[in-house]
Amino acid sequence: MLELLVLLVCGSILVSGILAVCLSDLMPAMISAGLASLFASVSYVLLAAPDVAMAEAAIGSGLTTLIFLYTIRKTSDGKE
Amino acid sequence: MVDIIMQIAGVLIFFSIVFGVLRLILGRTVIDRVVAIDMLTVVSISLIALRAHLSGRFVYLDVALVYGLLSFLAVLAIARFLEKGP
Repeated sequence: MLELLVLLVCGSILVSGILAVCLSDLMPAMISAGLASLFASVSYVLLAAPDVAMAEAAIGSGLTTLIFLYTIRKTSDGKE
Repeated sequence: MVDIIMQIAGVLIFFSIVFGVLRLILGRTVIDRVVAIDMLTVVSISLIALRAHLSGRFVYLDVALVYGLLSFLAVLAIARFLEKGP
């Protein structure tokens, strides 16, 4: 059962990474990148590395999303 | 009994991730995707808790706790951004 869930999480990393590259709008692309980081963190836990997962959750999913939001707000100026 | 409940929880988590990612792919508006990532966060926390129970190592629950706090922050920041506009 757990192997199937690991495979599903890794496939979801792949799908959200492809979405983050292929989407043309900035906001959904950033959300997809955050989701890739979320699933990477979950896969670290499933592969028995909880400290790496905690660092990934703090930096990859929290801090990167906030910095990207700040940058999009500073640079987009109301139009694409 | 506990094994049956864990099997059911695993199946529910499996289909929740499948349909959440499907909603993220098909999402028409940004808000659909934000709700999808919020739901996937909760599902991920439950998956970490399931793993902590199955392996018997309760240090994984700390990861679930940290993850719940931080992902709440990210979703809140996205929602505030959507409220104000770019």
